[in-house]
Amino acid sequence: MRIADVLKWLLLVWLALTIVAAFFYVHPAEGFIGESSRIVFFHVPMAWIAVLAFLISCVASVRYLMRREPKDDIRAAVAAGLGLLFAVLATTTGAVFARIMWGAFWNWDPRQTSIAILLLIYAAYLALRGAVGDPERRASLSAVYAILAFVTVPFLVFVVPRIYWSLHPDTIINTRGANEFDPRYTQVLMASLAGFTGLFVWLYTIGCRIEAIRLRRHQEALDD
Amino acid sequence: MTDLAGIAVVTLMIWVGLFGYVYRLDRKLGRMED
Repeated sequence: MRIADVLKWLLLVWLALTIVAAFFYVHPAEGFIGESSRIVFFHVPMAWIAVLAFLISCVASVRYLMRREPKDDIRAAVAAGLGLLFAVLATTTGAVFARIMWGAFWNWDPRQTSIAILLLIYAAYLALRGAVGDPERRASLSAVYAILAFVTVPFLVFVVPRIYWSLHPDTIINTRGANEFDPRYTQVLMASLAGFTGLFVWLYTIGCRIEAIRLRRHQEALDD
Repeated sequence: MTDLAGIAVVTLMIWVGLFGYVYRLDRKLGRMED
């Protein structure tokens, strides 16, 4: 069995144990209604991966503009698509938490508003890719757009929610620069972050391979 | 079974199902690349 296969099976066990720990190893946090605090083990990794994916998309776009390699365009597109998927999952898990804690799925809280804007920005990236037929023009335009889109990410994810008063609980890295989580919460959250990051890397690799096959077949069809 | 255990079981089932789907896709891609 290859190392890659071992890692995949390890990921299955790792995230399964993390899910069990999220529900049975930690106690409900104080100040939260019922079991709602457990959603942090799924919500935070989704948000972290979305930001990581948008960063990868930006870096790949810069590389594309420098080298004009189709592989970089593929990397940027796959990362942006996955980033959007994980941002939707972060929004959904956040909305479930909001329903329990604040009484409504959507409250136009600064965090909810900023992630909604971010979703629209990256949905527009995919729409742009779908609207341009010529592959080289599509790659160039979407690379420039991805770089501009990422400029908004630190502002929308880290700055806006800290400027305005928010219902959202303190983040792990809060304004006081301290981790005030229960040690068990920190352990499970770190395990969850590691596991979901591993899942993202796997999905990203698969996405890039699918697009590479599609590109190769497209070029073969043009050659025939 | 409590609500919490039920949600945990459903979450586990979703994870195992997702893993199975992605693993099969991965292997299929491997065959296409050969």
